[in-house]
Amino acid sequence: MQPIIEMKEIVKVYDNGVVANNGVNFTVNKGEIHALVGENGAGKSTLMKILYGIEQPTEGEIIVDGKSVTFKSSLDAIDHKIGMVHQNFMLVPSFTVASNVVLGGEPLKKGLIDRERVLEVTKELSDQFGLFVQPDAIVDSINVGQRQRVEILKTLYRKAEILILDEPTAVLTPQETQDLFKAIRTLVQQGKTVIFITHKLREVKEISDRVTVMRHGKMIGTVDTKDVTREQMANMMVGREVFLNITKPEMHRAEKRMEIKDISFLSETGRPVLREVSFNLYAGEILGIAGVEGNGQTELVEVLTGLKKSAGGRVIVKDEDILDHSPRDIRLKGIAHIPEDRLTNGVAIRASIEENLIVDRYFRAPYKKGVMLDYKLVDTKSKELIKQFSILTPNGKLPVGSLSGGNMQKVIVAREFSSDPYVLIASQPTRGIDVGATEFIREELVRIRTKGCAILLVSADLGEVMSLSDRIVTLYEGKITGVFPKAAEVSEEELGLYMLGIKHQTPEEMEKFL
Amino acid sequence: MKSFLKSKGFREFLRIALALFIGLGLGFIITLFVSEDPINAYKSFLLGPLSRLNRIGDWLEESLTLILLGLTICIVFNASQWYIGVEGQMILGAMAAGIVSLYVPLPPAPRILLAFLAAMIVGALWGLIPALLKAYYNANELVTSLMLNTIALKLFEYVLKNFIMNEKSRSVSSESIGKEFRLGTFIPDLPFLHNIRELWIKQTSVTVMVYVVIAAVIVVYYLLYKTPFGYELRMVGINGKFARYGGINVNRAVIMSIMVSGIFAGLAGVHITLAIHNKLISNMTSGLGFEGINIAILASNNPLGVPIAGLLYGYLRAGSDVMERSSDVSRELVFVIQAMVLLLVTAERLLPVVRTRIAENQDSDNRNNGSKNAKQLKEEGESHVA
Amino acid sequence: MSLETVIRGIFSSLFIASVIRISTPIIFPAMGGLVAQVAGVPNMALEGIMNVGAFTGVMVSAFTGSIWLAILAGIIAGVLLALLLGVFHLHFKSDLFIAGLAANLMASGGTVFLLYIITGDKGNSSTVRSLSVPNVNIPLIKDIPFVGEILSGHPVFTYLAFFSVFLVYIFLYRTRFGTHLRAVGENPEAATTLGINVVRTRMIALAISGIFAALGGMNLSMAYLQLFQKEMAAGRGWIGIAAIHLGARKPVGVMLASILFGFADAISNQLGSLNIPSQLVQMIPYATTVVALAVYAIQQRQAALERMKKYQKEHIDSLAAEHQG
Repeated sequence: MQPIIEMKEIVKVYDNGVVANNGVNFTVNKGEIHALVGENGAGKSTLMKILYGIEQPTEGEIIVDGKSVTFKSSLDAIDHKIGMVHQNFMLVPSFTVASNVVLGGEPLKKGLIDRERVLEVTKELSDQFGLFVQPDAIVDSINVGQRQRVEILKTLYRKAEILILDEPTAVLTPQETQDLFKAIRTLVQQGKTVIFITHKLREVKEISDRVTVMRHGKMIGTVDTKDVTREQMANMMVGREVFLNITKPEMHRAEKRMEIKDISFLSETGRPVLREVSFNLYAGEILGIAGVEGNGQTELVEVLTGLKKSAGGRVIVKDEDILDHSPRDIRLKGIAHIPEDRLTNGVAIRASIEENLIVDRYFRAPYKKGVMLDYKLVDTKSKELIKQFSILTPNGKLPVGSLSGGNMQKVIVAREFSSDPYVLIASQPTRGIDVGATEFIREELVRIRTKGCAILLVSADLGEVMSLSDRIVTLYEGKITGVFPKAAEVSEEELGLYMLGIKHQTPEEMEKFL
Repeated sequence: MKSFLKSKGFREFLRIALALFIGLGLGFIITLFVSEDPINAYKSFLLGPLSRLNRIGDWLEESLTLILLGLTICIVFNASQWYIGVEGQMILGAMAAGIVSLYVPLPPAPRILLAFLAAMIVGALWGLIPALLKAYYNANELVTSLMLNTIALKLFEYVLKNFIMNEKSRSVSSESIGKEFRLGTFIPDLPFLHNIRELWIKQTSVTVMVYVVIAAVIVVYYLLYKTPFGYELRMVGINGKFARYGGINVNRAVIMSIMVSGIFAGLAGVHITLAIHNKLISNMTSGLGFEGINIAILASNNPLGVPIAGLLYGYLRAGSDVMERSSDVSRELVFVIQAMVLLLVTAERLLPVVRTRIAENQDSDNRNNGSKNAKQLKEEGESHVA
Repeated sequence: MSLETVIRGIFSSLFIASVIRISTPIIFPAMGGLVAQVAGVPNMALEGIMNVGAFTGVMVSAFTGSIWLAILAGIIAGVLLALLLGVFHLHFKSDLFIAGLAANLMASGGTVFLLYIITGDKGNSSTVRSLSVPNVNIPLIKDIPFVGEILSGHPVFTYLAFFSVFLVYIFLYRTRFGTHLRAVGENPEAATTLGINVVRTRMIALAISGIFAALGGMNLSMAYLQLFQKEMAAGRGWIGIAAIHLGARKPVGVMLASILFGFADAISNQLGSLNIPSQLVQMIPYATTVVALAVYAIQQRQAALERMKKYQKEHIDSLAAEHQG
């Protein structure tokens, strides 16, 4: 087997100083299915973006088919017969399947697009590689599995020999996954090479010839898949997490504050994202959700906070079902929310820091005075909060967009914590922010938990979940796979097995701890 | 001082001043090409409004209408609603004010008060249709409000011709509104002001509307920046998702922004009826529909900037009238200048822009969160024109 | 006149011909606007471009005596205004909506300004002798009773307008560039990854919208009338934009929406002969548009809800099946 791609000593440092790849060596042989695994933020996507020409490496060399190459854009990569299927599909929704396949290189007849040929070409490719699609269907009306096949056909139409599939199964049902695997095998039989990015180790075992594991921007190793067990891979992937240096006072768990019962959620395309999830939150306890991103955590938080409509279930707070109530009603019940995406939900970037601090309280006393909003009070209170949460800014009148990511997050945390929440739902509270702010926010979480708040913590950072939580629940494909009543006593290896769907607890085992 | 020169407000001011300067320069170049006596023509344009007392009066009167229209647009633009139904709201407001002033048997003071009230209510209600369609069905507010403008204009003409029109008058108009039911001059009748007042009344008809407009500017400022309502409206305008996340009822804010803006369009209607024309007359709002947008954009959507922008454009319009009468250059030059300024003011890349860290923050975070986020942000930016 | 005459009027060939006549200057800007809209750059300056086209056509025809040069000049003027808009939006990052309004202002002000310089009149161009495009009498068809009166004898622009629907359809759906243009409008990111230049594509889309809007303007000033009037487009550019929304951004749909407006307008002309006040009757086309837009928006919302319900039901069914199994 000769290598078709060699990436040597790849270093990628983003402008903001984040080191995404640190001396990565990655080799893919011709005709193999090569799995690339690692946790979120391990650097897989960056590495593949470099290979596909979307990002340029800071250092390092790429060799394709024996020749050293530099890709200025993905067009260069396409010229070298590399194709990529992105996680969020790059399709034109109103076009037919066939039009999407040939987009940018349509066959012509007398100057016009030869529609019959377009359909034929698509049909031929589809037959040749066993990627079954209906060429004349509108993309908007087909399901995700079919859309993915269209993406693969697009790369094949451009004569790709090397296909990069970025977490292709994340959005698929088990049956669709099986169909995809069949197609991948067909591709390889016909001489193509496939790079398969995933978190799901069962799939790695099932489909790949070799597997490369990445962690924290570095390559841990490449092995023949048949030589490793899933457990070994999980250990390579999760590795030894640095336990955070946080002193956590003993937990005094008190009354039940939120009862979540059988919550389900469907994606826009009808895929079940949450399947009858149940658990309780108690005063004085942090419940952590451990799971690889995309297993329903985002939707769970958004359903609980009223931003998305559920497909059934109950959420009981103070003897009242608040599921599918408006965000305002839910907030009035004392439920605070640190959203996962700062810039989308968490702040209004052009509004001042002050104004970002009051979105949950501007409408009631003492902020509302008669018909006016008491900006003097807003000023005083925001000064207090800026000081208390050490937000680095000359004053509170500046737009929140002028702050660094960490300070912006502190604004959100200041707002949500200062409402003295009955329940706090914190989603990725420290993502993408500096060490100082991270530490500060973690300490604050522990502080209000010790004061008696009930906290639901969702984080892609396993170390964070393990060191902050009192109790941990693992979520895999929208279902709870395990519950660990004493977070301190569970190992990351053990947790990894549940997060990756390798092990499951029975409902009976879980019942009394949820 | 140094920090002031670097401040956002000052730079924004510089940017707009530069745009105006270029616009006026272009106007002069055009004048050079078309006029026999370009220097005098342009002089009459730039200095004309100040040359006589009655011209100052014309300028102020025109400006008052413009300021009210600017405030109207300022409110909806702060909520990021691309609503341009101002003309419809204004004409129906004018109609309501006119009908009350002509027919409701009340003594002067309550009658005038009722005229104001009627115009404001009608202005607000006329906004309800596009507002509801936008909030609940996401129907394009731009298109619906434009169509409703025409409908409002026809409705006005219908009512005017069939119920109000004075048979004896040569133009399509109502009778003049009784003197005591019009708005009085803005200079109070105090002994030491007596002479000025007499002189002013003889030459111009700038009315107490001046005070109403000053009040309106202050009210809009407070409404937008000092009340929970204004807070909701601006948060919806800056980031609708944040507003929703924070518990704001976005639909209600959208509807209210359009309706409340209608109150001020209604006031503009009162002004053209009870202060400028003193009757209802065909075509009384012609060409004013889009002026509010010019003003609001020049004022960076800040209500306190609106009077300045309004006076400025009022001045240019008045100046163009003087120029047309006293030279061979027609007044439409001012539209070309306004258009140029509008283009330049919104062109971020062309004139030195106020760059804060906002842009950088967005850039770096997009990169971290992947391309999906970048696309979302871009879509948000473009969604209002789609 | 009685209702009967009106109804008889509506079923007459003259009425149908008038629908065609009124629809023409809406179809043009609507088709142009459609091209820009599907490329993701909704052109708000259609109204202004129509005015510029109408004005330039008249003036050039008057001074050169050549109708073809006039049409060419009108088109060039329209394209230039559209490109100005494009440069400001795509390169200088002006807000497209505001820039469109600015272009309108510039057009309405500029045409009257120039009209006055050239003719000394601000209302219309009746003092210059301008030309009109020829009417087309279609052989054979013109002799067929009824049908001939409907289809034959219109100015050449009318046929061009309806033909342009076909052209735009072919362009958007059958040519490579048109397909790329639609892709750019729907998913610029995807288009970019395939090597399609988004800025250039959008610029060309705006230029095309300029061509059509200018033709629409000239249809007003060089067909039934041979003069330019102040604000000649009289809102037709905006109605064109409404037609794009109403026609679900498809060429034939947009044409039908334009005809719907033309029909409503023609009806209102017919009803004008009744004892109903003309202003109320004149509201019909605009009210029709608002109602149609509302119905369309409500339908869209309903369809989305239905889809969601369907998924929910499927999900519940599958859950039930799981429990049984």
